[in-house]
Amino acid sequence: MSTPARKRLMRDFKRLQQDPPAGISGAPQDNNIMLWNAVIFGPDDTPWDGGTFKLTLQFTEDYPNKPPTVRFVSKMFHPNIYADGSICLDILQNQWSPIYDVAAILTSIQSLLCDPNPNSPANSEAARMYSENRREYNRRVREIVEQSWTAE
Amino acid sequence: MNSEAGGGSEEDRPRDDEILAFHHAIRAADAEKLEFVGDKEPLSVLAMEYEAGNPVFRAKVENLSQTYSAIRRARGDGNCFFRSFMFSYLEHILETKDEAEVRRVEKNIEQSKKALIDLGYQEFTFEDFLSIFVEQLESVLPGRETSVDIDLLVEKCRDRYISDYVVMFFRFVTSAEIRRRAEFFEPFILGLSNMSVQQFCKASVEPMGEESDHVHITALSDALGVPIRVVYLDRSVGADGKNTDVNHHDFVPTEGSNVDIPPVVLLYRPGHYDILYTRTDEDLSHVGRHDKVTGRQLVKEDGNAAAQNVEELNYVQAEAT
Repeated sequence: MSTPARKRLMRDFKRLQQDPPAGISGAPQDNNIMLWNAVIFGPDDTPWDGGTFKLTLQFTEDYPNKPPTVRFVSKMFHPNIYADGSICLDILQNQWSPIYDVAAILTSIQSLLCDPNPNSPANSEAARMYSENRREYNRRVREIVEQSWTAE
Repeated sequence: MNSEAGGGSEEDRPRDDEILAFHHAIRAADAEKLEFVGDKEPLSVLAMEYEAGNPVFRAKVENLSQTYSAIRRARGDGNCFFRSFMFSYLEHILETKDEAEVRRVEKNIEQSKKALIDLGYQEFTFEDFLSIFVEQLESVLPGRETSVDIDLLVEKCRDRYISDYVVMFFRFVTSAEIRRRAEFFEPFILGLSNMSVQQFCKASVEPMGEESDHVHITALSDALGVPIRVVYLDRSVGADGKNTDVNHHDFVPTEGSNVDIPPVVLLYRPGHYDILYTRTDEDLSHVGRHDKVTGRQLVKEDGNAAAQNVEELNYVQAEAT
């Protein structure tokens, strides 16, 4: 069945295949264009370098008027990522606009990795450590990076 | 999450998305009481609304009823400016059957599309929104298979899919116009919000449900080349503390089409826009009023104006001596 949401998701997918931004990839699951798997690679020359972080994006028929629900499947340690993998990011919440496609969503999450907002913490330990003990924070991030290679 | 992490306050605090969901729920429950655009109602319903209210409002509503005959309410869901504009403009085309105006605005839409692409937006992210608006524009012209009458126009403007898509399209057009002329808009945005032009567009223009201010109105009016009048109904009372004339401001596009009364007239009450209908000569003969209406202003022939003239005269004389 072709609905406005599904038609739009096909175009999101086409763009992601034809013109993929660096360091991200994503595709719908077999037989279900409303549920996507994605991978974000940790940006080079940062503590996140080398990480391959898996996410899921769940869309509804309200897309693109409503944002997808995006969650990290990989374990994360980041001031704006909750324990269940959900993400505190303005464009996925109150600043959502249909002008963002899947590529733009994943790119925004990628830049959030190195540019956290400690003022709206989802993980207070990570937020405090990021502000007060950057060395220890970076060490914890590198642990997460290593886990991202092995965890299923 | 590590159990020793964070104090109790963070644990107890609802999550951002929970707060947001709650906020949306309150707004949605409130909004469901009214269609996106209501029925056309005589202006006397406003008078009834303020019957027991503030005397300044009552006096202003009385003044308003001399120039305007009817009101059509818009749902207060943060999109009321765009929904009011959508209906009012389409109704204007429906009544005037002005095909040249439709062709003109379609050219402007092409310009907006180019601007969006130049700004780096992907065409596929806005093309559905654009085509839904163009469909509505074509449907209000007569003699087509898809032509609508006023009842069908009302029905379409109450359809969530159509209304939301058109609102979103206007938001894209508004954002593109602001970004394209960032230097012009920057001082007005700083005055409103202390945000950069980029931040303002991202936070206050592009998301659904973000309320509109004069910056949005100016940008949309300029981008589409459609003049918009906003009539302000508030508690302000001129410098003398007694003046209850109702102020209005005409947003006239930079490309400048001089019109007496803009095709779109909106009533602004703090935080909300509705649609206003200007009295026609027919209305006047119906109600048998003797007020002279000249285009946009009512010529008063009552004692107050005369009294004011006398005061001014005294003032001039006093200065002279």
